[in-house]
Amino acid sequence: MAPRLARGRLAAAAFAALMLSAPFASGGVSQVRLKLPLKPRLPLRGNEKLLLAPFIIAADAEKARDKRLANVDLQAEFHRFLKKQVDKKTKLEVLEPPADLKLPTQNLTDLSRAAEFWRSVGTTTGAEIIVSGSLEFRVEDRSGYKTEEYISPINGQTYYRQVYVEQTGFLFDIVFLVFDGRSGEKILQDEFKDFRQTGGRRADELQGLFENLFSLENQILNLFVAREREADRYLFTD
Amino acid sequence: MRINGFALALLLAASGCASYSTTEKAKSQIAFGSAVARKGLWREAAFRFEQAIGKEPGNARAHNNLAVALEATGEFARALEEYKKALALDPKDNYIRRNYARFAEFYTSFTRTTGKAASGS
Repeated sequence: MAPRLARGRLAAAAFAALMLSAPFASGGVSQVRLKLPLKPRLPLRGNEKLLLAPFIIAADAEKARDKRLANVDLQAEFHRFLKKQVDKKTKLEVLEPPADLKLPTQNLTDLSRAAEFWRSVGTTTGAEIIVSGSLEFRVEDRSGYKTEEYISPINGQTYYRQVYVEQTGFLFDIVFLVFDGRSGEKILQDEFKDFRQTGGRRADELQGLFENLFSLENQILNLFVAREREADRYLFTD
Repeated sequence: MRINGFALALLLAASGCASYSTTEKAKSQIAFGSAVARKGLWREAAFRFEQAIGKEPGNARAHNNLAVALEATGEFARALEEYKKALALDPKDNYIRRNYARFAEFYTSFTRTTGKAASGS
């Protein structure tokens, strides 16, 4: 009699536990991809006259000795890239800078404060918005020894060995200064950085430069126009 | 003694059934909402998640899903409110925490002020 009673209680308790736990059973989660808008960083109408002024090229003694960088005209390549992107993806009217336009200083802080200079550039060219700043492009030899897992075909055991891997790194750093062409005042300062690494010691520097630029394209254009970016979110399915 | 045990079990079962039915209705709305969301029908999904919240206001999952749907339809201020509610209801859920963190990052950059407008523009 006693065991039967105990079995009955156990069954009742199990039933109750089942009924209570059912509503709280954990369920599934799925990941969804959203397209989110990015507002332009500059409050523009969209059809302003934009002047792409020269940028300060950040260079030090070590880089000046780097023969690989001597092959890259950073100023011209970046100007061409930026003009092409702005022409293609915005309705801004891009103005060419006067041939004799020279920056009053090679110091970024002083350049951002040179309101008088930028106002005169704006008056001369008719530009409503002027873009300048600084550019830095660095090619780094990232070759070195790396630890690699190795399974011996003889005894099947795992060993670790040092392997020499040749790699090149490309670092690109842009500081954008955007000025009001009428007042000469700075309206925006922003910095973008990108680092790419590729196999081989003699990777092409121009290809590396454009790898950097294309990866920054969305962020650069977002200064002037609205862009979209993809983002993942979790959605509960029950 | 036996009657008492049986009555207790019956009571527990009845209370379980009552909450089960409410939760099940909310769960079915969430399931349907998430299915249509995956097809890109975010407004319908948001409606379903709102229905789920109406049936079960304390359901953190429904608030999270509504926040995602509002984000997808561009109602970012409301999405922020819903993420906060979801997190308040279930602060330890890693999925909700991750969603909220990612949204906060996006929303901060979205609402960031961008200097003065160019004169004359």
